[in-house]
Formats: sequence, C-alpha cells, structure tokens
Amino acid sequence: MELYHGEPNIFSLKPLIALHEKGLDFTSRYVDFLAFEQYELPQLASPEVAHNPEGEGPILVDRGTAMTESFFITLYLDEAFPDTPLRPADAEGRWRVLTWARFVNEVLGPAVCTLGCRKYLAPALKARDREDIEHAMARIPSQESRAGWRAALEGAYSDDLIADSRRKIGIAVKKFEDALGRSDWLAGGAYSLADIDAFALLRPVPDLAPDLLNAKNAPRVAAWLGRIAARPAVEAALAHSRTGKPEQAFTPGLEHSRWG
Amino acid sequence: MTPTLYHWEPNANSGKPMLALKEKGVAFESHYLDLLNFDQHKPDYLKINPNGTIPALVHGDLVLTESTAIMEYVDEAFDGPSLRPDAPEERWRMRWWMRFFDQYFAPSLSMIGWSVFVGPSVRDRDPEELKTAIERIPLKERKIAWSKAIYNTFSEEELAESRRRCAVGTQLLEERLSVSKWIAGASYSLADINGFNLGYAIPLAQPQICNDEKTPRIMAWLRAIYARPAAKATWAMGRTQMAKRVTYLDS
Repeated sequence: MELYHGEPNIFSLKPLIALHEKGLDFTSRYVDFLAFEQYELPQLASPEVAHNPEGEGPILVDRGTAMTESFFITLYLDEAFPDTPLRPADAEGRWRVLTWARFVNEVLGPAVCTLGCRKYLAPALKARDREDIEHAMARIPSQESRAGWRAALEGAYSDDLIADSRRKIGIAVKKFEDALGRSDWLAGGAYSLADIDAFALLRPVPDLAPDLLNAKNAPRVAAWLGRIAARPAVEAALAHSRTGKPEQAFTPGLEHSRWG
Repeated sequence: MTPTLYHWEPNANSGKPMLALKEKGVAFESHYLDLLNFDQHKPDYLKINPNGTIPALVHGDLVLTESTAIMEYVDEAFDGPSLRPDAPEERWRMRWWMRFFDQYFAPSLSMIGWSVFVGPSVRDRDPEELKTAIERIPLKERKIAWSKAIYNTFSEEELAESRRRCAVGTQLLEERLSVSKWIAGASYSLADINGFNLGYAIPLAQPQICNDEKTPRIMAWLRAIYARPAAKATWAMGRTQMAKRVTYLDS
C-alpha cells in the first residue's frame, strides 16, 4: 500500500492519521504538489486522479487501484482493514459520519482552502519563477484545478470571497460547538472518521482566522482539537512534515459551490 | 418499523432513496411534496425537517436527510439485496462517483434545468406570493438558488460553464462505463442508482452530447437500469409529465 501525499495538512493529513490510528504498514511517497508530477506517473493514471476535486492529492494505491478524495480513502481503509474500527457499528452512526463529511467537504473545506491559499500559497508562488510555475501547471488535466492555481498565482481573492469563506467557517465552528455539547465526539460517543475529517480542515483555522475559532468563542471545539492533537497517531501523522510548518501548506483544492 | 419517505417526483435527489428502497424491497409510506408549490418550506414539513430540504426519511425516531447518505443508510439498515459492492476498492469507486454526481455534474445539469424549466413554470404566479414563498426558505443557500431560478438571474457565463461541465461529466461517465458494466465495477450499486436519477435527463436536456452515436455505453446503461422492475415501479410513482419523460428509454 502506497500513499502519495504532501505536507500533513488538510487533505493529506486525513489518510495519514487513519493509517497510523489503524497501525497499518504503508509506503509514504512524499510529493511536491507544486510540481504536479503525480499526473505523469503511469501507476496513478485514472479519471478519478485526473478529475480529483481536491486537486493534487493525497492518492492511495492499493489492490491496483489509485484512490483519491481523502475522506473516501479513510473510509476505504476502515472497510478494507476492519481492526481498530473508526466508525460506529450501527447504520444511524454511519449515516452521521457521512453527513458530517458532506458538510466538511462542501462548506468548511472550500472556505479553509481559500483563506489558506491567500495567506500562504499566493505569496509562496510570488517568490517562485513564474515561467516555471506556468510550465508545471500545464500538466494539470482538470480545468477546475488549473483555475484554482491560476487564482493563487494572480492572488485573485475578492473581498466577497474572503467574507463568504469567513461566514462559512463561522457556521461550521458553531455547528461543531453545538454538536460537541451533545456528545464527546462528532458522530457520538466514540472518536471516528468524522472527527479526523473535521480536525484535518479545522487545525489551520486558529491561525487563519483566530477571531473565529478560539478557546473563548468555541471552548468545546478548542478542547476537542487539543484532545485529537494529543493522540499518538496524530503526532505520528504530523511527523511526516518536512517543513516543520504543515499548517501553512495549502493547495487550491475544493471549489466553492457554484450555486452561491 | 415502516419508514416514511418525504419526496417529490422520482428525479434527482428525491428519486435516489425511492429507487434504493424499491430495489431493496423495503415497504415505505410515501409522502409526496410538490416542490414547485414550495410544500417543502411549509410549517408542517419544517416540523419534520427544519432545513426544508427534500427528501427526508423518517425511521422510528430518526429523521434522515441528504439523499446519498440516506441511500447508504437504507442499504445498511434493511434486509434485501446488497446495493454496495463487497470489494472495498469498488465501494471507494461507488462513493467517488456519487460525490462527482452530487457536487459536480448534478449542480451543472440542474442549473440548466432550473433556468429552462423550474423558473418558467413558477414565474407567472403572483409576484407577492412568490416573494413570500422565497422568504420562507430556511437555508440561505437554498434561498439564493430559488431566487436565481425564479427570476432567471443565471448569467450566460454561468450557464455556458454548466454546459461545459455537463460535457466533461458525460465524457467521463462514458469512459467509466467502457471499463466496467456498472459504475463501481461488476455489480449494480448505489452509484448507478444515483447516476440514473441525473443521467436519464442528459439525453433529454443535452441531446447533442449524449445520444446513441456519441455515448452508446451511457445509453445502454440507462436502458438496462430502466428495464429493472424497481426502476419501473419508482417512476410509476411520478405525478407529472417530468417523470413520464423517462419512457423514452423503453424504445
């Protein structure tokens, strides 16, 4: 089993945590997402890699299949390797995990990517040779992903988009705060893939929007982030970082809903 | 315990749990809501689902929303033929494609559908009545979407982008169905049920990109699904012309 991943942040962080939680053997393939080389590796060629809504990765290769979409990779791991289960055993609990994932993917994910790319990716691209970046970008097969990188390259983040992203993060934090008032973990009494999924996207938020997520306005979310960060598997996942600052590593990733 | 499904026509999101329940052979109470009459935003229904979205499945004390997640619940909670593949990598593919349909393909196809169908069919109502109806919508995102449809404020640029995405999605689906008979692999699954609810409308809405000549595999796949007794039973629950259009797949 091989995992192609970048810095352990947002999407790449999820399968790394799940693999370590389950104690599975895997080969880590650290990829420079800015070089877009994964699109030219024959073992990864598939429509699901070319049209990955998360963009560059992570990609899990197992049983001859190259799998994208970080949450679905973690779900795969839990179904293929059922020891140390990371989902509730009942249908209701599993439905809750799926609906949380949908919310994280549609509302929180795009908002965090926008703020993260504006703060870290856009300046990082400015420091690089523009022609090199353009040349590398030509490898990206999907028009949506190319548009995301183009926005980062131009620093094209309107005030409306930033305000909308902050609004979405505010909604998400409130929703998590309410849920954690009802149970210790998002899907119920036990830590699950829903917590891993939300944690990976929320971890950079106290840096990106400190006024929207702090111990005062969302004490339960802040404590929950701390509980998850203290888990040995999460520490092991974060140890895959090469920059020492994984929470600053962003790719354009998820699009905002086009319906407004 | 007999579940109750709140739904509209067998189409898009409502059709997904309808077809899944029928395939599974689960008896359910059907509660029809007229989407174009804004039944889903009326107080009776908001008591059940405060977000005012359809479908919703009520099973005992549980109120389940989100059509794709409801389908997984149905497959997990009830007896009947399994609608998810056994192989975990095929389950992964099933879910990848359901998300692709839900978040990429369907929103693009429905933007076109709403601008040419939903909008015009409600626009000639009393403007005050429409205003009240829009104000009652609980979710901000849905409020914006309905306003855009009713007042047709989709820009030509947005519609062109939606048409481009429909072409990309159609191409990708044709490619996928050239690899295996069903979307996830060798067995019929929730991904096919999901895909059919959007897919049956593509040759109707976009005949220039989806037809027997250009996308023979999609056409064969659509006919194979509509030939299933569960699909026939589901589409027979439709009350409007919209659902009846599906019969072109009989020919």
